[in-house]
Amino acid sequence: MALIFALALLGQLASPSSWPTSWPQAMPFLGGGDQGAHAWQRYHIRYYSMTLLFIAFEMEMMFMYPWAVVFVAEGMKAMVEMGMFLAILSVGIVYGWREGVFRWQ
Amino acid sequence: MRAPIPVFVATGRGWLGPCRKLAASADIAVVANIRQAAILIVAGEPRDEDRDALRRLHDQMPHPRATAWWGTRPFAEADSALEVSATDDPGPLLRRAFAALLARVRESEPDWLPDDPPNPWRGEGDHGQGGKGMMGGTPYGRPMAMTADDLRDGLALDSFSFTVGPFYPSLPPGLALELVLQGDIIQSARIVRPPLDPGKGAADACRSMIVGRMLHLLELDALARRCEAVPVDDRDAVAALRRRIGASGAMRAIPDGLGRIAGADARTRFTRMVAALGDAEASSFAGPGGRLVDLLPGLEWSEAMLVINSFSHRDLVALAPREVEPEEHREGHGT
Repeated sequence: MALIFALALLGQLASPSSWPTSWPQAMPFLGGGDQGAHAWQRYHIRYYSMTLLFIAFEMEMMFMYPWAVVFVAEGMKAMVEMGMFLAILSVGIVYGWREGVFRWQ
Repeated sequence: MRAPIPVFVATGRGWLGPCRKLAASADIAVVANIRQAAILIVAGEPRDEDRDALRRLHDQMPHPRATAWWGTRPFAEADSALEVSATDDPGPLLRRAFAALLARVRESEPDWLPDDPPNPWRGEGDHGQGGKGMMGGTPYGRPMAMTADDLRDGLALDSFSFTVGPFYPSLPPGLALELVLQGDIIQSARIVRPPLDPGKGAADACRSMIVGRMLHLLELDALARRCEAVPVDDRDAVAALRRRIGASGAMRAIPDGLGRIAGADARTRFTRMVAALGDAEASSFAGPGGRLVDLLPGLEWSEAMLVINSFSHRDLVALAPREVEPEEHREGHGT
């Protein structure tokens, strides 16, 4: 086992790591051509930011189930607290809206 | 038996004939991707507009690497360049250089381009995030994916734009195309640079190179190498090659009706080209009229390559006039 480890270490040390990959070398081979767009362009997760908002409000709904029980007991005080909680979350929506996360194109 | 030297050939003006002889050498393996090469051969004078492409190509070659300048002067930045005169056979020099590279006696060439990202992004934007906004921003300095109308089923998929050539082995030397793909379907195409003139007296060599490229595209590599190596003035060898190509089913492998223009499709044009092998006097069919870029949208990548390579050089020059101004191309790619 020690011998295998030593050989692996030796191989690692002997590998041609003296030539780190440069930016020009990392570019895709296009016969001298150039890419006009990022390679990720085809795989843009367009729904990513909407998903984050969805998760935020899904969690909020989970809070509201036990809150409904508290509301029956506490009344208006619980209503105001929930209003504040929803207002804070709404700031996130407004910010996302401003940044254009709901625009598909 | 020594292993052949893996070389990538960047063909310059009027050097198709010598490059064909080089490809026929048993001592040299002309590879289809620069990443498989140890030596880049610059054969002949590259066009001024191809110099940046050549620099990009060189820097993509893995270490240890060297560049041989065959019949042309090296770039100023090419230190320790291998120079071969136009009349000499580069084989022996390449063999020595390859052995020296492997033994680490010869230094591997450094990059010719600065080690900078193609689209700098670090520190860009209000928060150094590399762009602006979320949707439609430019993370890593590149535009985000945007949809375009799909030609097949109306499903709007993300399109991908790039330039291929002028040293792409599946394309005629010098031809550079700006393409937009969705999946492997070509949405649009523009000619960035027309193909190179093969030079006087190289019509025969050019034809056999085109037929060889078509056979490579049809995955008939052994037959393609035979085609690239056959002496075009040896009637018997050429006739035997024509029979082999016919028997291989290569013509039937090209879809019927593909790239039809002026009443002839890719299969017909390829059949004519094979029939004209070894005939220096053979002319291409009369100028087809039309544009190459109009034939490509809607084709898959492999079909498009077959269509492009089914034309003789003369027809391709007529079909593929330059459509992108050099300045416009540079601005569009930001390199």
